[in-house]
Amino acid sequence: MRETLSIWWFAGLLLLAYGVIILLTGIWELSHPLVPPPVLNRLHPAIWWGGVLTLCGLGYCVRFRPGRR
Amino acid sequence: MTHALLLSLSAHPGLAAFAAGGQRLARLNSIDILVIAIYFAMVVYIGFYLKGTSNTGQDFFLAGREMTSWIAGLSFVSANLGSLELMGWAGSAYQYGILATHWYWIGAIPAMLFLGIVMMPFYYISKTHSVPGYLQLRYGQGASALSAVSFALMTILMSGINMYSMALVMKVVLGWDLNFSIWVSSVTVAVYVALGGLKSAIFNEVLQFLLIWAGALAIPVLGLIDAGGWSNLRRQIATNLGRSDYVHLWSTLGHFNTNPMGVNWFGIVFGLGFVVSFGYWTTDFLVVQRVLSADNLRSARMAPVIGAAFKMAVPLIVILPGLLALAVLPFPLVGQDVAVHTGQHSYNEVLPLMLVRYCGPGLLGLGVTALIAGFMSGMAGNVSAFSTVWTYDLYGAFLNRKASDRHYVAMGRWSTLLGVLVSVGTAYLVQHAASIMDYVQQLFSFFVAPLFGTVILGMLWKRATKAGGFWGLLCGTTTSIGLWTWVRNDPSALRYVAMSASAKDMAENIYRALWAWLVCVLVTVVVSLMTEARPVKELEGLVYGITPIPREREERWHQRPVVWAGIVTVIFVGLNLLFW
Repeated sequence: MRETLSIWWFAGLLLLAYGVIILLTGIWELSHPLVPPPVLNRLHPAIWWGGVLTLCGLGYCVRFRPGRR
Repeated sequence: MTHALLLSLSAHPGLAAFAAGGQRLARLNSIDILVIAIYFAMVVYIGFYLKGTSNTGQDFFLAGREMTSWIAGLSFVSANLGSLELMGWAGSAYQYGILATHWYWIGAIPAMLFLGIVMMPFYYISKTHSVPGYLQLRYGQGASALSAVSFALMTILMSGINMYSMALVMKVVLGWDLNFSIWVSSVTVAVYVALGGLKSAIFNEVLQFLLIWAGALAIPVLGLIDAGGWSNLRRQIATNLGRSDYVHLWSTLGHFNTNPMGVNWFGIVFGLGFVVSFGYWTTDFLVVQRVLSADNLRSARMAPVIGAAFKMAVPLIVILPGLLALAVLPFPLVGQDVAVHTGQHSYNEVLPLMLVRYCGPGLLGLGVTALIAGFMSGMAGNVSAFSTVWTYDLYGAFLNRKASDRHYVAMGRWSTLLGVLVSVGTAYLVQHAASIMDYVQQLFSFFVAPLFGTVILGMLWKRATKAGGFWGLLCGTTTSIGLWTWVRNDPSALRYVAMSASAKDMAENIYRALWAWLVCVLVTVVVSLMTEARPVKELEGLVYGITPIPREREERWHQRPVVWAGIVTVIFVGLNLLFW
């Protein structure tokens, strides 16, 4: 029987994809400000939240990568 | 409970009014659409990937009984964390203040711990595949059939109502067409549950749990910064409302008319904290099925404890946004009935409003994805539980007892598709007769409280008999329906049902459950004492005191579920004192 991929690997993949998308969006907004901006957009939540998701996703992907015992 | 029980208790009548209550709240751009599309692609891929691992009945209906305690625990709590709960309870927090937290703490934590520590050994050791399956072993076919029919019927109707509610939310928040939302979500759910069975549903529930936190946690963080911290938030709410009872959990519960919810401490502790909560968390097969998928007894006992720990944190992303809205939104929210006529935003829109307030492209898409994921996993939970109860407790018990395992798996896949189709039909039915939705939500709640009486007596009292179980369940359910009908026909009857003329909807639901449970227990005891008891030998593995429970001596102290249950209890008590 084939090896079952861990649910945590799928979770890591999803978080990584979302983290990268949101982080890049946040960086893009630095040079292309939103009009009108959401409340507290000066804190650049897309950058720090995208960064957190990227790190979490990376951690899960590495820790639960296919083939790792 | 998208689940019906909590939803019905949340007193959100007429979601149809929600659709008419305002205009589109947000517009998604291509980044947001990409975020949503990635989620759909992922869940369908998981369904196809798991198809090859769901070939036997145990694989398809119980996820192979190979889930770890963490996966089973997150799935257990996630099956209850649908988007209707998130949005409904955030709205309730705006409407009633911090009292709404009771449905997450005393209305969940003690029952979850009780399930893990006391009840799970009996469910797990009996090797039952479902709660009606346990009743079959303990009481025979009468109580089991009554429970299975009511569960299957209500689960599938609730699935349709959830689907319709999701379509309405998508219409209000994003302006999406109702048919588009209904068919895209139902086809996706049908594909991944029919292919991968319970394992697929559980995988997606775990993903949904993470997504909800990833998508919603930014709101309370930014909201607290916006409000200037917790102390300033409390002060601002008191100033805006001119009253201070919105931020206290217990100190305002002395009487029905000293708090915004119209309920008292007795109802919260015994009605909600005991009957309603224990009824839902320990006997609703939708959530119990997740724990039955655990890979061993220790995991099965740890799963509800882990679920309880996470459940305690959920008010952070549900209740706090509602409280924050009371302080930071520049306009007041109103009830749905008012919103329909004035075009203002209703309480139920508080979560999307806060999402739009703080989130730009990308983050907004993630928040919307979290809502969609909540709806879809809630529907998948309903459909997978329906499929199991239909296949084993109705089809296998009454229509075709001697079919092969392969045949039952095929029946499980087909009943999944059938369940989704019935759900779609229900969604269209309530679209044209919205009041049906409120009735069905109430109907579901009729069965849960008495079922808890039947199950708990069966587990703890060896003298309970087949006739006692059946008549107790039937009389308890009839009592619940009777009380509900009485109050509908004569609203002044509320003073008898909820024991106060000042009681409101929440109190009525709580006290009705309490009466139904009491009648169920009383009838079960009386009828059991009047009928012949089953031989003790037949009850081994089913009843406390007769069943040898595997000892935990071989485990280290920090591996024992009871130790972690103790830690969760201490935190639970501390939190209640903190927000007293």
